[in-house]
Amino acid sequence: MAKPILIVGGGPAGLAAAHSLATFGQACILVDKEDRLGGAPILEGYAKLVPSGEWAKDAIGGMVDRVAEHELVDVRKETKVTEFSGEAGDFTAVLSSGDSVGVSAAILCTGFSHFDSANKPEWGFGTFPDVVTTSQVEQMISSGQGVRCPSDGRKPQRVAILLCVGSRDRQIGREWCSKICCTVSANMAMEIREELPDCHVYIYYMDIRTYGLYETKYYWKSQEEFKVKYIKARIAEVTSDGEKLIVKGEDTLVKRPITIPFDLVVHAIGMDPNVDNPDISAIFGVDLETHGYIDKASSYSATGLTNKNGVFVAGAAIGPETIDDSIAQGKAAAMAVLEQRQLAARLVS
Amino acid sequence: MPIHEKSLIRPENLQVHEKLEVEGVDVSGHWSTFIESRVVTDYNEAMEDEIAALPGGEYIHRCWQCGSCTNSCTVHALNPDFNPRYWIYLIRMGMESELLRDKEIIWQCVSCNKCTYACPRDVVPEGVMKATSHWLELKGHTPKSHSMIFDEIFSEQVFKTGKIEDGRTVRRFFKRTGQALRQPWLEEMVKRLLRNLPIGMLTRMGMANFITPKTKGWSGARDAIEEYVAEQESHHRQALRLDDLVEAARKEL
Ligand SMILES: Cc1cc2nc3c(=O)[nH]c(=O)nc-3n(C[C@H](O)[C@H](O)[C@H](O)COP(=O)(O)OP(=O)(O)OC[C@H]3O[C@@H](n4cnc5c(N)ncnc54)[C@H](O)[C@@H]3O)c2cc1C
Ligand code: SF4
Ligand code: SF4
Ligand code: SF4
Repeated sequence: MAKPILIVGGGPAGLAAAHSLATFGQACILVDKEDRLGGAPILEGYAKLVPSGEWAKDAIGGMVDRVAEHELVDVRKETKVTEFSGEAGDFTAVLSSGDSVGVSAAILCTGFSHFDSANKPEWGFGTFPDVVTTSQVEQMISSGQGVRCPSDGRKPQRVAILLCVGSRDRQIGREWCSKICCTVSANMAMEIREELPDCHVYIYYMDIRTYGLYETKYYWKSQEEFKVKYIKARIAEVTSDGEKLIVKGEDTLVKRPITIPFDLVVHAIGMDPNVDNPDISAIFGVDLETHGYIDKASSYSATGLTNKNGVFVAGAAIGPETIDDSIAQGKAAAMAVLEQRQLAARLVS
Repeated sequence: MPIHEKSLIRPENLQVHEKLEVEGVDVSGHWSTFIESRVVTDYNEAMEDEIAALPGGEYIHRCWQCGSCTNSCTVHALNPDFNPRYWIYLIRMGMESELLRDKEIIWQCVSCNKCTYACPRDVVPEGVMKATSHWLELKGHTPKSHSMIFDEIFSEQVFKTGKIEDGRTVRRFFKRTGQALRQPWLEEMVKRLLRNLPIGMLTRMGMANFITPKTKGWSGARDAIEEYVAEQESHHRQALRLDDLVEAARKEL
């Protein structure tokens, strides 16, 4: 029987890879450092997902269940890989539990880290309780509590969503676009308007990147049906007059400074490279690309290859990704592993 | 230094120090003039809804500020300050004070609808311009425009009789807009009509001035139209909270 495949990270990408491999009769070991599987959507308590509109706990929860229940998947939670040696087809991985396992290949599905808004102090996060992140608003919605101002629990009457927080910002060394936050924010704005019809939602943007089919479903719909307002301005500062938050910036379309009162300010936080990436790079011998994500080789011969033979990568570990794309990459990496095994078997016989 | 185009600056934003010395240099009086920047400090969130409630304004919330309307606009070609794209933005975001600065030019739209054909989002900017002029009038920011007065006279007649009589329309229009009836161009037109129209037609036109012909069985239609117009007007008053405004103004007096 072939050696198991090691999958590191049980988010959408890792879950998809594990399910594909197990379905083809390939045993795998799925390790995740957290005490639950599901990755960011479950750990952060996202509400309804883009673009399916399904609740994260149902959609990703379903993916978790079918993997957790599968006899060919050995799930190890609260576990990390501490050492990784050998070569393709014959690796040994030492786990933080002390166990040592023999595996033929590894797929890194270690995902991303959420940008910590405290790194942009001028936008008030950490100073004013009513400045929150998209993750927090997702939790307010998914918990059933509804969108409220954390300071006193009141329903906000005016909400500002600031895009590109922790993305596209050379000042803090983050030049990438996090790809999904425009769409997630447009979706969130509609959810807020649905729950609180008297609450006006303003999105402050530099560019709107609701690419492809998201254009109709999110960008147009949020304006045409939900009257969400988009203002081209990068906010300079969020302060408070003691009662309301004051958002300062320049409305670039009217060339006019603005200082507008808001009840709630939401940071559309970006996707940072996983903070563990330097360790992962050292342990698995994979290169990181310039921004700090795991470097993926070109896709023409096989998908999800890294510079290290036998180590594959998928999902937000290689850069900002959507859930759908992370799942597709997880499956593609699983397929690449199976292809490689098949080729090796043919060479041997 | 004297400021050119001072008329464009709001007096409250002009700062002059009677006595001021900077690093030993006397810059008193107009030498110390500076202009405070105009800061937008709040959004009037009712504005978009109010204009959307008037005929033509329904689709204003679709606008994504591409500028196609302004670029195609007949009036913009003559006056660069005529900018439908910009006004739509001000309305959507509720920047009322900024919009009011342009109230003297907004009504200049000639309803050519070039913008309507250029707009990729079906905003119907021409309608928005109409609704905006209407809004400015209803709110008392601008007097009734001549074209509005003309429309009213025209409709009044049609509602009443089911017919339209040109001579009366023109006379009333000049009267209500305070213009002399003896306009050289009008006299010239009448002269030529007299010279060239068949006598039978002239007689009928002349008689119509005295006997006010009516469409047969019009009263039923008239009642229906008047009811509808009253309904629409009350709907607009409500949407713009005009009665509240009047009430507030009365209290202040
Ligand atoms: C606010 C917000 C809302 C979003 N909403 C949507 C949406 O609606 N639709 C959409 O398509 N996308 C959305 N996204 C993006 C989505 O979160 C990602 O596409 C998705 O989570 C990527 O999946 P992944 O499996 O690659 O990584 P992750 O979800 O990050 O999963 C990585 C897993 O690896 C584990 N791990 C990490 N490091 C280690 C390690 N060293 N050892 C062991 N385990 C490790 C983690 O615990 C985690 O379980 C959103 C993102 C944000 C920030
Ligand atoms: S997706 Fe939108 S909000 Fe996110 S980084 Fe890109 S441009 Fe900014
Ligand atoms: S209808 Fe009015 S706004 Fe539109 S192009 Fe013509 S003049 Fe300009
Ligand atoms: S053309 Fe349409 S979408 Fe473009 S700015 Fe004008 S009204 Fe807005």
